[in-house]
Amino acid sequence: MWATNLKVVAIVLGTLALYTLIANKIPQVESEVPQTLTLGANVTPEQLVAAGEKVFNGIGGCTTCHGLGTRAPNLLTDEKGTGAIGVRCGKREAGKTCKQYLYESLDQPTAYIVAGYQPIMPVMTKQLSPQQVWAVIAFLESQGGTVDVSASDIPATSPTSPTSAGGAGGAGGAAFAGGSTDPKAIIQAAGCLACHKLDGQGQVIAPDLTHVGSRRSAESIRRKILDPASSTAKGYERLAGIMPKAFGTMMNAAQLEALVQYLAAHK
Amino acid sequence: MTEHLLLGLQAAADTTRAYGEFPLIGARAAVWIAAEVHLMFAAFVLGVPMFAVVAEAIGIFGKDQRYDRLAKEFTRLLLVAYSATAIWGAVLVFFLATLYPKFWAYLTAVFGPSMWAYAGLFFCESFTLYLYYYGWDRWKYGRPKLGHWSLGLLLNLWGTIVMFIANSWLTYMMTPPRDITPTTDPATIKLWHAIANATWMPINVHRLIANVVFGGAIVAAYASYRFLAAKTDEERAHYDWMGYVGNFIAISALIVLPFAGYWLGREIYQYDQSMGITMMGGFMSWLWVIQAFLIAVLFLTGNYYLWIGMGRIPGAERFRPYTKYLLIVLVLGAIVWGTPHTMIADSKELTAMGGSHHPFLGALGVMSAKNTAVNLMILTTFLSFLLYRRANTRPVVPWAKSGTMIQGAMFALAAGVVLFYGIRGYFVEAIVRIGFSVYQVLAVLGCIVAVTVIDVLMGRGAQSLGAIQWGKMPPRSQYALFILAVTFTWLMGLMGFARSGIRQYWHVWQVVQDTSKYAATPALGYASKMISLCVLIFLTLVGFVFWLGGLAEKSTFVATGDREGGGGGRHVGH
Repeated sequence: MWATNLKVVAIVLGTLALYTLIANKIPQVESEVPQTLTLGANVTPEQLVAAGEKVFNGIGGCTTCHGLGTRAPNLLTDEKGTGAIGVRCGKREAGKTCKQYLYESLDQPTAYIVAGYQPIMPVMTKQLSPQQVWAVIAFLESQGGTVDVSASDIPATSPTSPTSAGGAGGAGGAAFAGGSTDPKAIIQAAGCLACHKLDGQGQVIAPDLTHVGSRRSAESIRRKILDPASSTAKGYERLAGIMPKAFGTMMNAAQLEALVQYLAAHK
Repeated sequence: MTEHLLLGLQAAADTTRAYGEFPLIGARAAVWIAAEVHLMFAAFVLGVPMFAVVAEAIGIFGKDQRYDRLAKEFTRLLLVAYSATAIWGAVLVFFLATLYPKFWAYLTAVFGPSMWAYAGLFFCESFTLYLYYYGWDRWKYGRPKLGHWSLGLLLNLWGTIVMFIANSWLTYMMTPPRDITPTTDPATIKLWHAIANATWMPINVHRLIANVVFGGAIVAAYASYRFLAAKTDEERAHYDWMGYVGNFIAISALIVLPFAGYWLGREIYQYDQSMGITMMGGFMSWLWVIQAFLIAVLFLTGNYYLWIGMGRIPGAERFRPYTKYLLIVLVLGAIVWGTPHTMIADSKELTAMGGSHHPFLGALGVMSAKNTAVNLMILTTFLSFLLYRRANTRPVVPWAKSGTMIQGAMFALAAGVVLFYGIRGYFVEAIVRIGFSVYQVLAVLGCIVAVTVIDVLMGRGAQSLGAIQWGKMPPRSQYALFILAVTFTWLMGLMGFARSGIRQYWHVWQVVQDTSKYAATPALGYASKMISLCVLIFLTLVGFVFWLGGLAEKSTFVATGDREGGGGGRHVGH
């Protein structure tokens, strides 16, 4: 009986060892927790490109689809004879610079679907911090084009309050937009104008915020930011659920209050 | 209100005392082991009652005492496994409360009342099991026997509700309702709203089926050990039969499991596309290659067991030459299913490869090829089983020849549909291609159902070519059952890692962030070591509790000299 017992043990251990060995022989990829990315006012294009490459190959998860042209357009070498993304980005949409096109593609991925591909890309401005987004744009521009992203594109950062690169924010994240209480910086960092129009700027996908103070009280605006599902403007019901729900955790108290009062003053 | 809310936000950001530490292996590993081993025992004690009650019903309504004794033996295994399930459940709760206190407080704030209900139902379930087992011989005949069988049904009902409740907690962590944000006070979340989240029902169905698979595999391994340790031919015959039934249950349920998996996957994609992409194409993409390898082992070993089993069936010789062709189809299918396609890689690696996939092999790595491969493997396994089933009979109905031809045509038609849509999938867009998998699955399921019905009708009054020689199995067939049990258990651990890992650094997806030092989701290498450790702990303990059960009571097998187990001339289990 001992011989049988030993054989059973050997088969069990051998099978476990085989599976463990195979799983250890394949490429080992860990899902990292987003790291803080701090880009100072004097950041150089080279630093932006380097940071962007890291995000592109890492936390951004871009290579999952944008390899060399499988699930999504090839961004790094050539897409059906049109060159790398840096070469073609400025020609994709009339009147839009490369930088504008890339930002909008990351912010509204369904806006410009390349023929032959499916609208499967997530909204990257919800997944990444503004610093990371602009670093990625710089990296993509560097793929055959000219890098014109600069520190001025990136929302102001506070040296004492490094911006969290924590994707969609969360309980452990640091302050949004580098902790700046400048409402315009917050609006830019949050990407509000990708959907909303304000003072003549931005898109008209979601309600125009130019006179939002006449429609909503400060309390209502605050509630809407913290809990976007709490109410939906009339005529925009089909967009319910589109507004990111993590803004509340991406801002500190002072920022939230500054933004609320700024918008409430837009009567 | 605002002040309170902002204070709440600050508090949420504060991770002080949010996490405890566990010596040597760390908090995450401790919870991982406790959760996984608890889950394995729980799957066993939930799966086995399902087919125990079916076996008892066959015994009652088919008036076949062998099945009644088999059901009792299944239940005896449950009795000792139950305590282990409860102990590991308690360990898990204590670990969560001490190592992840803040997150545990969040969960209890949302799910508190359901946790009380869970405890109450577990109590009911335990005592129903005791009544069911200890009342077996007391309520053995007539109306009391039906009452006893009802206890089995009740046991399943309690178990299913208990599982559904626990599933709501873990699925909430994956797919919390969209209106719940990081700022939502958990105490204000309606209980049913949290329970009925996007993946709750798909997980419920998936786990119900998977528990049957798992329970069958463990029972088969138990029987195989008893077979190897048997002292008499009769005992050997009984446990050969029991092992066959356990394996039959496991493989039969396994065939439908992928469909529940597709549903779950679709719900994950619909809930959050980025979560779906992480699961199938992101850092977890290699996991599916490992899964394909494990499934290939299951198919090959399951078929191997059937083919060896044909050696104990008079008349099976005539089918033996075909097994090599079945083997070829299975091996080719496994190779295609295991072919990687789009792997996560950085830009330098992609450039070095000359693409994200191999120019030739990449064509086999897409879902069109993989779905075709797995459907053909299922068809092949079904054919193996059909040959096994018909091995010692010769149909005598007048339409036997045309019936066999119709069966053959159905196989050809199903394989044709699978191949047609597999090839066509290369020429259409992804959104159309996804729909093709439904046609492939329907063709295979339709074939299985129709061919089985014809076979049952054709088998009426069939001429016997000799009785199955239960117990006349070489030991290697029993070792194959061990490999199946280990592989099923390992696969369960792997899929658990996939389900839990796609949350990445979130305790509750995009609502409660994991800010502990273990927030990063480990790579497959580390995960595989944890899975192997959990499987080893589980199998060691399950071996121990079965041994304990054997000490307390002798096997329900009784060598009465009648036909039970050994020497029976009929097929069983189908």
